[in-house]
Amino acid sequence: MNTILEERKSSIRQGGDGSGMGCERGSVAGAVSQRACVYCGARVVLNPITDAFHIVHGPIGCASYTWDIRGSLTSGSERYRNSYSTDLREQDVIFGGAKKLSAAIDELAEHRNAKLVFVYATCIAGVIGDDVDAVCREAERKHDIRAIPVKAPGFSGTKSQGYRMACDALMRLILPHKSDSEIRGVNILGDFNLAGEMWIIKNYLERLGIPVVSAVTGDASYETLIKMPMAQLNLVQCAGSVNYLAKLMEAEFGTPYIKVSFFGIEDIGSSLIRTADALGDARAARLAREFIAEKEAELAPFSARYRPHLEGKRAAIFVGGGFKAISLIRQFSAMGIETVVVGTQTGQPEDYELIGQLVGSDAVILDDANPSELEQFMREKGADILVGGVKERPLAYKLGIAFCDHNHERKHALAGYEGIENFTREIHLSMNSPVRRYMEGGI
Amino acid sequence: MKKEISPIVSLNVNPCKMCMPMGSVNALCGVAGCMTVLHGSQGCATYIRRHMATHYNEPIDIASSSLTEEGTVFGGEKNLIKGIENLIKLYDPDVVGVSTTCLAETIGEDVPAMLARFRESHPDMRAKLINVTSAGYSGTQFEGFFRALRALAEQVEPNNCPNGKVNIITGQISPADTRWLKDLLSEMGIDAILLPDVSENLDGTHEAEYNRLKSGGVTLAEIAQMAGARHTIEISTFAAEEYSPARYLLDAFGVPFTRLNLPVSLRDIDALINALKSLGGTVTERLRRERGRYLDAMFDSHKYNAKVRAAVFGEPDFVYAVTGLLAENGAMPSVCATGSVCPGFADKVRAEVEPLSEFHLDAGNVIIADDEDFEHIEQYAAEYGVNLLIGSGDGRRVAERLKLPLVRCAFPIHDHIGGQRVRTLGYDGALTLLDRVTNAILSGVEETFRENLYEKYYKGNSDTKVTGNKPVEKHPCFSGCAKSSARIHLPVAPKCNIQCNYCVRKFDCPNESRPGVTSEILTPRDALAKFLDVRAQIPNLGVVGIAGPGDALADFDLTRETIRLIRQIDKDVLFCLSTNGLLLPFYAEELISLGVTHVTVTVNAVNPSIGAKIYSRAEYLGVKYNGETGAAILLANQIAGITRLVAAGIKVKVNTVMIKGINDRHIPEVMGAMKGLGCEIGNIMPLIPVVGSAFEALDMTNAHEIAAARKECEPILTQMYHCRQCRADAIGTLDNDISFKFRNAPQPAASGATTLFAVSSESGVLVDQHFGHTKAFCIYEYKNGSIRFKENRKVPQYCTGEDDDAVQSGKMAAILKTVEDCACVLSMRMGDSPRNALRAKGIQVYTTYNRIEDAVNEALTALQSRR
Repeated sequence: MNTILEERKSSIRQGGDGSGMGCERGSVAGAVSQRACVYCGARVVLNPITDAFHIVHGPIGCASYTWDIRGSLTSGSERYRNSYSTDLREQDVIFGGAKKLSAAIDELAEHRNAKLVFVYATCIAGVIGDDVDAVCREAERKHDIRAIPVKAPGFSGTKSQGYRMACDALMRLILPHKSDSEIRGVNILGDFNLAGEMWIIKNYLERLGIPVVSAVTGDASYETLIKMPMAQLNLVQCAGSVNYLAKLMEAEFGTPYIKVSFFGIEDIGSSLIRTADALGDARAARLAREFIAEKEAELAPFSARYRPHLEGKRAAIFVGGGFKAISLIRQFSAMGIETVVVGTQTGQPEDYELIGQLVGSDAVILDDANPSELEQFMREKGADILVGGVKERPLAYKLGIAFCDHNHERKHALAGYEGIENFTREIHLSMNSPVRRYMEGGI
Repeated sequence: MKKEISPIVSLNVNPCKMCMPMGSVNALCGVAGCMTVLHGSQGCATYIRRHMATHYNEPIDIASSSLTEEGTVFGGEKNLIKGIENLIKLYDPDVVGVSTTCLAETIGEDVPAMLARFRESHPDMRAKLINVTSAGYSGTQFEGFFRALRALAEQVEPNNCPNGKVNIITGQISPADTRWLKDLLSEMGIDAILLPDVSENLDGTHEAEYNRLKSGGVTLAEIAQMAGARHTIEISTFAAEEYSPARYLLDAFGVPFTRLNLPVSLRDIDALINALKSLGGTVTERLRRERGRYLDAMFDSHKYNAKVRAAVFGEPDFVYAVTGLLAENGAMPSVCATGSVCPGFADKVRAEVEPLSEFHLDAGNVIIADDEDFEHIEQYAAEYGVNLLIGSGDGRRVAERLKLPLVRCAFPIHDHIGGQRVRTLGYDGALTLLDRVTNAILSGVEETFRENLYEKYYKGNSDTKVTGNKPVEKHPCFSGCAKSSARIHLPVAPKCNIQCNYCVRKFDCPNESRPGVTSEILTPRDALAKFLDVRAQIPNLGVVGIAGPGDALADFDLTRETIRLIRQIDKDVLFCLSTNGLLLPFYAEELISLGVTHVTVTVNAVNPSIGAKIYSRAEYLGVKYNGETGAAILLANQIAGITRLVAAGIKVKVNTVMIKGINDRHIPEVMGAMKGLGCEIGNIMPLIPVVGSAFEALDMTNAHEIAAARKECEPILTQMYHCRQCRADAIGTLDNDISFKFRNAPQPAASGATTLFAVSSESGVLVDQHFGHTKAFCIYEYKNGSIRFKENRKVPQYCTGEDDDAVQSGKMAAILKTVEDCACVLSMRMGDSPRNALRAKGIQVYTTYNRIEDAVNEALTALQSRR
């Protein structure tokens, strides 16, 4: 059995060098990629909008596999936790599904008081020639609602294209709300309020006297999103998914943006200070320094207690995008853990170059890795723990390697100062679990 | 078709089914050394892997042909061939299953022809290729599973040399149940071939050496031998003949077959054992004892199981089998639903449930339906008084919203561990399931019976006992806006039967709903859904009000049904309603028996001549009465109704609209009369002169006048002062007030020198970018000993790899202009040419990888030491 396919070799960099990575291309057929699809990318970004109807226009599978599986929390409507699908059948595929879609939106507008509908057109809708744009246009006219098409057939690219489609859809939603008035406060872009993380960040900012106008898209609603154009500043967290939106907003509304990260002690501190500075708010900057000092002092004994149990271990990382991978390498390094294998599903060349700067000269860097490669390199490099998503978890366990869930399904916060504690604990409790001692030997 | 019980008929809301490729992949996991490639988009494979990985807790490797735009337009053969080749290189499988998806089928891929060409061009290939046609829109995972089995039976070269074996064909049963089945066959001495056999591949052991190709399962040689078996038992009630492997083996090779149900009910387990016995199997003593133990256990728990009102949902075979188990144990399967389209389903399931009608004399009705989604299952569960859910983990949303226990015993289970070890088959498996069902009910009783019985029977020793359990006033109108309870108004009553001069019908009644906001009218079912939505967000939702927009009693069927539906799923919530009282004598008894605890009656006058100025008409028993006659009938009925309610212990509040010059001086008399009837509280409200109403020209009663009237009436009847506050918060507004005016903090006066730094940063947190890749510099300012971010400045990207020298030097000039006021440029790396150009302008260069603030500090130190 081979482990590495010829076509995959340019996406695997050994010796800790991330430059010239073969990435941003379609997956190799038959390679057992861990990636999802365009639809997935669009759905991930838009799904946390709590009061929208998210309609999947296509056969049932895509709706069934994305129904209420993510940990985005809401302070308002629970509607986004439902799955709405036109559930196309054979007859619809033959005669077209546009009528069914149109009837579906009519029903939601008339009986469910819909104000905002996203229509995700999956693989089949385009192929059978359904004019989703026309249906949405007509529905907007007829019902005075917003019906926004997201044409995301799985075959039209990778998850990253889906992110762009989501950003375009958001622009389409907020563009009519361009306004000359300004609201004091910031938008948080690229936080999905997993396990309440957006709330944590919001609480921090409010403690500095900086209000949060809207988030993309954690705990967002139609009402909060349309205020976005009036905010003073965009904070961009998950750059891979929403950097494009920040650029569109800068061009259209003149909203400046800065990049931030609320994962890891250093990033949280600098992000808070930078936000205050970018707003020109000296009082907030002073409060930020005080707050950071207070929190770091609180965290110190905790870190001191855990560090001896973590130091010297080796980590493997396989996550969705570059932002998360880079942040994890740095967090591990702060714990005294060396990253020996690192990969992402949809990282960009700059991400890999930076990753190369962060890891040791012995590390392996992978784009769009598959289970065979992960298996080989985790073994070869002696990884003690893998950070990844749901699909990677059973592989780690089979190999006797500890695991940390860093995915959208998790139910505990990893951002903010409390996130540092959660993350550190999780790493420790998996890596040093007594269970691992029993995996060798037999009867 | 989705049944038209809700107005949403064109959408599947919360699917109780998955797609065909999911079933196909699951079935192929039961074949030794088999890998599957899904011919379609990359996402299909990944979603299915994720679903299976969480349920089975096993690595699930499924390949995709990763169809692209090009493949979709010009055909995907190239991708599929590459995919199979790569899969063979990585896994060296014995079998490659090629399952199609929606996309491949819609663009018309001729997969059998492609595979034939593949075989020709790869003569040395070891792997057997199996093609499964499984468009996601042609059926569910249930059909997909059998299609894959049928494809295996048809496409593996048969070995029809008689071998004396028995074929056992199953649908998607758990690995643990598969192990049980194999043990049973071996115990009874039956030499069998299992198709499929997921016992090892989907519930593997921990090995010293991990092998990514799963070697458990039925082998190709065994599948070939199925043609020479002496008999087939196909364990599926509803597998279509067209895709039945047993049917194929009969038609092609004359292997006779018996169709059996999943062995979950005693009857169906016995049927399997007897079938095996008739094929020469031995019924061992151990097996008899196991059966006996099951009987013993059925008896032990029969009285608890009689309390079960279950909703069972999932694949048709599963629902049918579990319904049988419940029926045998005297448990009521009140809702039986499958997401698949299954023509024979309703009749067969009904036959299981029918005998219970002679046993459960007051358990109510049963609903049996195919092609259903979870929105309907939830509505049925609420409506049919279900107390337990049985099915896959996807029922967790219904469980959460209806606060019902869920016994997770079918695929997929994402929120619990152990999906691969779920037991439902055989005497011990069925007993495991039965125990889980019984215990769910017992836990519910154990946790609530003290409180429930206390609530029901304990009427208190006047005011001598105050405990945490004692009902306190939860209604916000009566308790002065108790923070402990939230309320919801459900607009289910559109009709009204009197015409007040301050009211225009097309708007909501200004008495009970906020004026100017025209409500949607909800059906009772929609009202239930809304209640559940709100309860999910506001855990302390304690009061449900029915307050219009018309009169709650004018169309009492709607009000009654709403109360009934909500009461079924929430035993604690208080009901209140408001009415003009015209029909109160007719419905007072029913309100009492429905458990309504608070009623508001609008009484504007206790003198018909004053009333006649306020009410222009009353429609009573089909006749319209005007003037004093109408007002007199209304008043008489208000008095009779209130008297009856008060006698039954219902708390009555009186609303009175204060209309200057008409009833303002009459109000104390109204309050006095109501006190005499035993009303609890009075609420004097201002007249809102609605445009288009008879009173539109009157003055609005101002707050001062209202306050004076309340003060005057307080000694007569307790007055309500907090009405408006409650209304605004009825369901809670969730918007944060962030729109206050921009007020910037005053800046400290500038003093001292300023030093600027230009930073190359990709992440915005670190100096982590090449100078040449920088599209915008972050400008940092050092002043008075502190460093702060100032702004971003865009520049042309110096390095693109495409520009000639002239273009580059043009860009460099632009960059120099942009950073000319900076003392230093900080980048991760920088080439010699820009470095020299910057230095020539007197701008220092500092290369590092570090947090921006730390890096600027270092650069500053370097600058200062240079000076």
